[in-house]
Amino acid sequence: MTRLFRAELLKLSTTRTARGLLAAALAITALLAVATLILAGRDGNAQLGSAGNLHNVIGGSGLASVLALVLGILGMAGEFRHGTVTGTFLTTPDRGRVVVTKLAAHALAGLGIALATVLAGLAVTLPWLAVKGVHVDLLNLEVGRALAGTLLAGALYGTAGVAIGALFRNQVAAVVVTLAWTQFVENGVLASVFPKVARWFPMGAAAAITNPGWPLLSMWAGALLFTGYALLLATVGTRFVVRRDIA
Amino acid sequence: MSAITVERLSKRFGAVTAVDDLSFEVGEGTITGFLGPNGAGKTTTLRTLLGLISPTSGTATFAGRPYHKLSEPSREVGALLEASGFHPGRSGRDHLRVLATAGGIPASRTDEVLGLVGLTEAATRRVGGYSLGMRQRLGLAAALLGDPRVLVLDEPANGLDPEGVHWLRALLRHLAAEGRSVLVSSHVLAEMAQTVDHVVIIARGRLVAQSSLAELTARTGQRVRVRTPQVEALRGALAAWGATAEQAGPDELLVAGASTEAVGRAVADAGIVVYEMRLERSDLEAAFLELTTSEGVLS
Repeated sequence: MTRLFRAELLKLSTTRTARGLLAAALAITALLAVATLILAGRDGNAQLGSAGNLHNVIGGSGLASVLALVLGILGMAGEFRHGTVTGTFLTTPDRGRVVVTKLAAHALAGLGIALATVLAGLAVTLPWLAVKGVHVDLLNLEVGRALAGTLLAGALYGTAGVAIGALFRNQVAAVVVTLAWTQFVENGVLASVFPKVARWFPMGAAAAITNPGWPLLSMWAGALLFTGYALLLATVGTRFVVRRDIA
Repeated sequence: MSAITVERLSKRFGAVTAVDDLSFEVGEGTITGFLGPNGAGKTTTLRTLLGLISPTSGTATFAGRPYHKLSEPSREVGALLEASGFHPGRSGRDHLRVLATAGGIPASRTDEVLGLVGLTEAATRRVGGYSLGMRQRLGLAAALLGDPRVLVLDEPANGLDPEGVHWLRALLRHLAAEGRSVLVSSHVLAEMAQTVDHVVIIARGRLVAQSSLAELTARTGQRVRVRTPQVEALRGALAAWGATAEQAGPDELLVAGASTEAVGRAVADAGIVVYEMRLERSDLEAAFLELTTSEGVLS
């Protein structure tokens, strides 16, 4: 692990931002898990203890991804907002290396958040099922895919967040524009009006990672496409940061 | 070789020329004051020197190497910049730990520099609760983290109380005594007058003067006050000598650009009656104002 990578992880662990987002993620995941378990088997929801049910508990909400995204944006744009970018670039004048390392550190952070939410979901679900006397088989393909998808999405969203933070000068604008785009434009309008087109957009591709199936792409196609989007954003964002005057 | 060499440096932001064909040097083991009024281009120059701003033309180097070519920048050059920030939610010590980790500096050094700037007790508090002076001290601690041979400090006295300014002067002298080279900017000359060996003065992005402090006072601070009933005649005689005189009272002239000897000869040649003549050394602050406001007779 390079010293720059360790420094980026230290940045994450020495403010309350990451811890706060993580705590929120755990609390909301636990609540959603309870809701999912209560509603299981009703109104067409997956049966309690079924693979679909477990999938919903593990990462169906996509919450970990959104929080990893926000953390990534705050991690990069926050350097400009607070002016810490000056010290960062004075210590490491190779700006491209700084951004790439931050992309990697936030991939790990996103993975960590996703893993924590999975564990939180299971921590609620497994005792619940045991009390209800429902036998579960965690070692099946769908649960495995849900787990892999959630972790992968968390890592990719963390990376994309850093890339977006590098593109915007303003941290608040970066968060607002990103959430408006992902939640309103894509998930709200595009996905319901033009679902066949929407699946090719970033959020459509990302959704396929955690919830593959019609009208979305397959999990791996989605993962590949979203990785492409993240890399594109990261490349453009890195160029922005490398060329910018830090005045 | 000079510790810092700035050569024909220019930086334009759109239509605004912040730094205009600026050249100066900082000798090894000296404290050089980088002076100029607010908006003169000091911060832009220093940020360009440190590779944070790319110059429109010209170069700025440390012992011949641009900042981004230094192999271990934080061990070679320590910098304190205005508006260089801190995350308000991070403690002072953690701020330094992040920089030390990235710079490959042992963690034990963070406590050393915290002690050096007097922040040991506040080290674990979050920076959001620091006063301006404490932030300035933390910035200095960051600059000293890598025990660098060269220090670039932008307005380090800002936000410090008089006691803090006194402390800063002692620290700078101590650092220079250890053989370090210091380039320190200020818009208040008096702050630095007792500390610096050399001065580089800029105004509107251009070099106005570069000299030792002693030279500067000698060159700019000298005026001759003459009391005479023949003010107009004396003024005419002095003009012939290339000196300028301004009316300082009903029968008094203040002569700039001439020594007492020169004034004496002009008086004798013109046969003017003089009641009194004396040399006045204006203080450094006046010299500074004179240089930076009137494009500088001595550039």
